[in-house]
Amino acid sequence: MLGRFTRRNFLSLVGMVAAAPIFEVKQPRGLNFILQNSPTRAKFLIETMPGGVALFDYNNDGLLDIFLVNGGKITENLHDPEQFDRSNPRYWNRLYRQNRDGSFTDVTEAAGLSNAGNGNYGMGVAVGDYDNDGYPDLFVTSYGKNILYHNNGDGTFTDVTAKAGVAGAGWHVSAGFFDFDNDGHLDLFVTRYMEWDADHNKICGGEWHTYCPPSAFPATTCLLYRNRGDGTFEDVSQRSGIASKKGRALGVAFADYDGDGFTDIFVSNDGMQQYLFHNNGNGTFTECALESGVGLTSDGKGLSGMGVVFQDYDNDGRPDVIVTVLPREIYALYHNEGAGGFNYASLEAGLGALTSSSSGWGVGLEDFDNDGWKDLFVAQGHVLDNVQQIDESLRYKELPLLALNHNAHFDRVDSGLTAALAARGAAFGDINNDGRMDVIITTLGGPPVVLLNRYAGNHWLGITLRGTRSNRDGYGARVQVNGQTRFATSTGSYASANDKRLHFGLGSAEKAKVEILWPSGTKQTLQDVRADQFLEVREPEHS
Amino acid sequence: MIHLMLFTLLAGQAPSSDAMQHMQAGVEARKQHQIDTELVEFSKAAQIDPNSAEIQVNLGSSYMEKHDYGAAIAPLKRALELSPDLPVAHQLLGFALLAQGYTAEAIPHLERVGATDALAIAQTENGQLPEAVANLRVALEKRPNDPDLLYYLGRASGLLSKSAVDTLLTAYPDSARSHQALAENYFVLRQLPQAEKEFQEALRLRPDLPGTHLELGQVYANSARWPKAEAEFRTASTLQPGNAEAAYRLGGSLLQQGKAHEALVELKRSNDLKSGMPETLYSLGKAAALDGDNATAQQSWLKVIELEKTTSLAAQAHFGLAAIYRKQGKIADAQREMQEFQKLQSTIGPPRSE
Repeated sequence: MLGRFTRRNFLSLVGMVAAAPIFEVKQPRGLNFILQNSPTRAKFLIETMPGGVALFDYNNDGLLDIFLVNGGKITENLHDPEQFDRSNPRYWNRLYRQNRDGSFTDVTEAAGLSNAGNGNYGMGVAVGDYDNDGYPDLFVTSYGKNILYHNNGDGTFTDVTAKAGVAGAGWHVSAGFFDFDNDGHLDLFVTRYMEWDADHNKICGGEWHTYCPPSAFPATTCLLYRNRGDGTFEDVSQRSGIASKKGRALGVAFADYDGDGFTDIFVSNDGMQQYLFHNNGNGTFTECALESGVGLTSDGKGLSGMGVVFQDYDNDGRPDVIVTVLPREIYALYHNEGAGGFNYASLEAGLGALTSSSSGWGVGLEDFDNDGWKDLFVAQGHVLDNVQQIDESLRYKELPLLALNHNAHFDRVDSGLTAALAARGAAFGDINNDGRMDVIITTLGGPPVVLLNRYAGNHWLGITLRGTRSNRDGYGARVQVNGQTRFATSTGSYASANDKRLHFGLGSAEKAKVEILWPSGTKQTLQDVRADQFLEVREPEHS
Repeated sequence: MIHLMLFTLLAGQAPSSDAMQHMQAGVEARKQHQIDTELVEFSKAAQIDPNSAEIQVNLGSSYMEKHDYGAAIAPLKRALELSPDLPVAHQLLGFALLAQGYTAEAIPHLERVGATDALAIAQTENGQLPEAVANLRVALEKRPNDPDLLYYLGRASGLLSKSAVDTLLTAYPDSARSHQALAENYFVLRQLPQAEKEFQEALRLRPDLPGTHLELGQVYANSARWPKAEAEFRTASTLQPGNAEAAYRLGGSLLQQGKAHEALVELKRSNDLKSGMPETLYSLGKAAALDGDNATAQQSWLKVIELEKTTSLAAQAHFGLAAIYRKQGKIADAQREMQEFQKLQSTIGPPRSE
């Protein structure tokens, strides 16, 4: 009988006894942001889609700071070319510096981030040190023009968009820095949702008067910029093959799914097939989602793909994909089977019962209870603000999903939040440096919600990569700790950027073995690393 | 055709010679499809000889050809005054009255000539629903795919059902069946909380009320409360072990929760109880694939393809087979199935979210 009493059974019992929620809901002092999505009766589709959040340490003081993307002002008589009144402070993006006491100070103006351009309605954010100077830079996506802010290292940023050549055009949502050609310079991928402008907006739902589904608008292509290493980028969307596929892209995540040493791209598309761009290692990509088993559900149906995460949930060393979607679908979990193939595993993992009536946006696979298994967190809330009138079983505002991972099966637990939210972006990181992963969620028309992790017990390890031959952030590295694997990236979720530090729960282990495969190809192993610390690992200069 | 018949049927009655001339002219005009001339000639004949049933029927028939059913009624009634047993006059008058909405008045004429289809329609409109349903079934035996008859059968059956439910709700408002009927209405209207409440009340009054656990389970399934749905489907399945639908629903709820092996057992049982149901076979394949029983999955999905051929379910089965073959390393087979899937998708539309 004892042999049948598995770890999973035990954890289920523990879960039943330990009813205390993992997170404490906080409104940190000084974090006074309101996401101005400006909903109107005209139902401009952009209103329901922002906004992103980034957790990053812009001043290298060891504390995570918060950047929040704002929407803009929308009026019912909005016309192309649209104006969103972003010079008004109410509509600014905001940078909050974390203070030693856990409070925050709004440093937007001092940092030079106060005006994002009246023609731009803010959507998302990406973080990466594109010039390898040791300070994280910001890329802000918009409906309109995107902005690249170079971090000057003195607490200020400079808008270098024009010089860098990354403004783009159209409706951009998520973005991410990664090094697709392993040249040590971070490149940039930007999703574009659809061809839309205020003059071509549509209203659907008859008497219900709702936002239209994505299929009502033409598809478009994503953007890929190659970093030349001199502060400028080259648009290689066409040459790389990325622009060969039109979609309705909302989310993006990176990992080397087939272990060939080159970072691949997963794009979550809304209302259609998903895309997996395999990196051919020669500057081109081949879209291979259908052949790889990650394009559709197991029933051969498309997905309302919104957020996405590309990490290893079952500790087999290979990155898996989770895509968040709308109700009547199930969050898609594609298990990486090796040899370039995936298997739709939502039902086995328990997502069928957990997610079929929810709308998921920001998503993370993080080990919230430090037991050595990455758990699932999803920021939730329906697209339609009047969905409950149309279908009584659905809600516009939802509680987020927190599901603990018990041997690759997810079980819902209390997140600690009691008020439902119209949540969108979510970023994950250790905000208070206590060795537990925290979460920040953005909410339409409301303040961000900070969830501080109060889980007691288990050891952990936080790793900061310091690339030398590889890009300085070490994005694209595969890091394995005591049988767990993470792919170094700050990209994933929805329109948001996560703490770049790699967090590992160690369970009862007080020591760890750390193995790193850097994008340069260098392998590095550290033995007997002490638990419960933040460790910076510098890439060896010579392999 | 009716006109030739008229001529034959009425040949024994002799109008006056002047009237006969106009009538023959009318008949000739009818043969030439000159409807206006025909109407003029029959009208003149009727003025000359208002007591000829033959002329009155021809005049009524001309009005009907011009779709002037209101004008047809008077001469046809006059014809029946003159010759009360004239079948063609009853038939035409029945049609004319039905067309003008005088359904009660039309019914005896249509009954008299056994015009089952028109009679059934008149009965439907007149609220004689059981008689209408019976006559529509008879008419459909002769013309099984007639869209009008199918429409009226649906309408009469629906009205009959509504009438029965109205009677139930009025006579026994607190009965389990009344609550069940109300719940079904709420379910159709997607008012799930109200549906749930009424089904629960029905079950409180009669815990073994046939069909109700299955229906309540579907309310839970539609609102993604899968453990509750499973419990209701399981009760339904226990109460009616021979109910294939209950086993299918139970299997589906188990599958949704990732309980692959249990789902497989129930879906196999459903398939044994009622074989050849494509949806059951598709889900059976899905449960089998999830449970690692690729042989059963393959067998089930091949059967789906055999039954469905070009539907979206067949496309899904091809897609599922491709995934199995890919996992087994049978790349050529996987590619073939994907091609079939994509071929069907191109005819039935691109894959969208559900």
